[in-house]
Amino acid sequence: MMLTRLFLISLFASIVLSCSSYASSADPVRVGVLAYAHPDYVAKRWQPTIDRLAQDLNRPFTLVALTPNQLDRYVAQGKLDFLITNALTGVSYKKDYGTSSILTLVPLGNNDPTQSVGSALITRSSQAVTNFDDLEDLTAVSTDKQAFGGFLIFAGEMAHNGLNPFNHFKQLNFVGFPQQKLLKLVVSGEADIAILPTCVFENAIRAASIDPSSLHVVLTKNNPGFRCQSSSKLYPYYSFSKLGKTDYHLATKVIQSLLSIQPSDQAATQGRYHSWSATVNDSEVFKLLKQLQQWPFVTNWTSIFKTALPWAIVAAIILLLGYIHHLRVKRLVVLRTRDLKAETLLHTQTQQALLEQTKQFYKAQRVLLTGEMASGIAHELNQPLAGIRYLTQGCIYRLSEEQADLKDAMSKAILQVDRAQSTIKRFRHFCQQPSVMSHCSLNQILEDTLCLMGAEFTRMQMTPTFNSEQVNVNADPSLLQQVFVNIIRNALDATDTVKSPKLTISLSKQEQYALVSFTDNGTGLSERALERLFFPFETSKENGLGLGMIICKRIIEEHDGEIKANNNTDEYPSNGASGLTITIRLPAKGSFNE
Amino acid sequence: MNNLYLVDDDQAVLDSLSWMLKGLGYQPKVFLSADCFLKSINIQQPAIAILDVQMPGMDGSALLNRMTEADSPITVIMLSGHGNIAMAVQAIQKGALDFLEKPVDGDKLASLLEQASVQTEQNMHRKVTRQELLNKLATLTARELEVMDKVLEGKLNKVIAAELNIAQRTLELHRQKVMQKMQVSNIAELAFLMGKSIA
Repeated sequence: MMLTRLFLISLFASIVLSCSSYASSADPVRVGVLAYAHPDYVAKRWQPTIDRLAQDLNRPFTLVALTPNQLDRYVAQGKLDFLITNALTGVSYKKDYGTSSILTLVPLGNNDPTQSVGSALITRSSQAVTNFDDLEDLTAVSTDKQAFGGFLIFAGEMAHNGLNPFNHFKQLNFVGFPQQKLLKLVVSGEADIAILPTCVFENAIRAASIDPSSLHVVLTKNNPGFRCQSSSKLYPYYSFSKLGKTDYHLATKVIQSLLSIQPSDQAATQGRYHSWSATVNDSEVFKLLKQLQQWPFVTNWTSIFKTALPWAIVAAIILLLGYIHHLRVKRLVVLRTRDLKAETLLHTQTQQALLEQTKQFYKAQRVLLTGEMASGIAHELNQPLAGIRYLTQGCIYRLSEEQADLKDAMSKAILQVDRAQSTIKRFRHFCQQPSVMSHCSLNQILEDTLCLMGAEFTRMQMTPTFNSEQVNVNADPSLLQQVFVNIIRNALDATDTVKSPKLTISLSKQEQYALVSFTDNGTGLSERALERLFFPFETSKENGLGLGMIICKRIIEEHDGEIKANNNTDEYPSNGASGLTITIRLPAKGSFNE
Repeated sequence: MNNLYLVDDDQAVLDSLSWMLKGLGYQPKVFLSADCFLKSINIQQPAIAILDVQMPGMDGSALLNRMTEADSPITVIMLSGHGNIAMAVQAIQKGALDFLEKPVDGDKLASLLEQASVQTEQNMHRKVTRQELLNKLATLTARELEVMDKVLEGKLNKVIAAELNIAQRTLELHRQKVMQKMQVSNIAELAFLMGKSIA
């Protein structure tokens, strides 16, 4: 028991201790260094400096040589503690990842760390370049788009002068490292001009790998105290930066260690530098960075993406809202279209129904007219036939006994007359339409009739006055409608010449009768016409058949009702006639329940 | 023979019907409208009228109405171009002898006219009888009428005298006067006379 507890305690302690020791000393400090090409070469240059740090701080340091893209990724993922980069890259991380430059490299042979590197335009000695315009006909080469001295500084210089390096030259190629290769390209004539960091040319001359007379630096700027020729302003070169998360105790120790490096130490000689100094003014680098960022030719997609992201999101949201709005509008349009379609359909149906009703009406009228015509013709033929029969029979009565053959013939004539009459009678019966009586609402029939005649009222620019109450009758609605239409149409014809035509239709219930009256202010009727109003073939109209009113009378009588016509006497006595009133009396029924 | 009147708005029909009736031995008078007829004829005189139903203005039915209301002795035969049962029933109810469809057969019309002649005579007789009765009744005084009513009710003289608060002798005088004025010899005769007039 005791033993187990002791074992547990010791185990716990060992774990804690191992953890803390691992955190404080075992974890190697990672230093990233920017390498455009040949990471091995770059690593070899900086390894002694890193070894020196490891030695001074007595803890492991790891050097990681990284291409620009790798470096971006490592920094973003926080895999590094310190960085050795050119001034521009160091500054560019400051904003996004909170890196801060803690030391600046003092280059060899130059004691001013702010003036360490620039860009040199190197062309053949025979090539004269005196201003930026001369560059237009030349084929340029450079190492890398992101090389600080090699390209970016000069690009900044051109941007400052309002030029775009990517299309200002006749041609611009990036051929990569080593830098000396570019000089050879210019010498051989494969390229006209090389954009390189300062001192590359001078170093090549010193190394005797190039003929100093064959090439020269153009568009030089006067940089006193700088040992190499430069075509641009000078900027600080390497800087040692710490990342935002890196512990400041460690940073302090690193600074102490680096500052203690003497020019004669292996770290400096191998690293080809003089020493480290406190961070110099990097405002010029900032300006350059800004200049480059304003010009799209150095496409830092990541940073552009990041800057643009909020805008892109806003734009996306706006587009999305727009799309949603579009969808909504589309939906509304669909709904509205559906409503309109339904409405149109309803309209069409109503129209269809009205048309159907009108058709039915005319059909019924045709049938009625046929019947009435048959009846009228029968009557008209009946009169002369009756005359013939009477006359013939009168003759028979006057014949003497001896005139038997004559009597025989005349009796036959009478038979012929009877035959004709029976034919007429059958014809009339055939044409008579049996009415279909049903319990119906008289005011509804009147309303339907007015609706049916709406177009004619509109044509006459007249609105009939309609006073009604609920009255039920036992009737054939289609026949009553015939009556009403006939009467109204007559009224309209009578008021055709009147200035302000008026028609009053009133329906009331008096005791056991329904009274319908149609009063117009038309021309009225003469006494004779009024007397013969309900006789067939009596008409005042040019194309009238004279059957309308007899049909009305016939129908009303069939309904056990009465129809009467009177000239109005009251309103305009000076006008002669003051219109006609047609009154119809029909036996009324109670409610539908009876 | 009674007068025969024809009323029809169609002149040709009127003439031909007239022609036929003349052949049968009648002497009809023709009228083109109900108004003409009423203007020129005293409808209280016995006659036979053949009326057309369909006429402008006052039609046959209306004319028949008028005559019925006036208690005319004229017997009416209605003729119609296209009659129906309802019209026929209405006409008969109003006192028409018959309702016929035009054209009517002469023989049928002849027999109907004979019937009408009898009817007219009866009408006239009834009319005369009633008039006579009315004349007789007009001669009675108020008291005599009162007495007659009670006598017809079958009451005894003394009961009537008591009811009227008069002497029995006075009543007997009144009663004698009634019998005298009504030209009857006994109560049974008086009752028959009054009963017939009521019928």
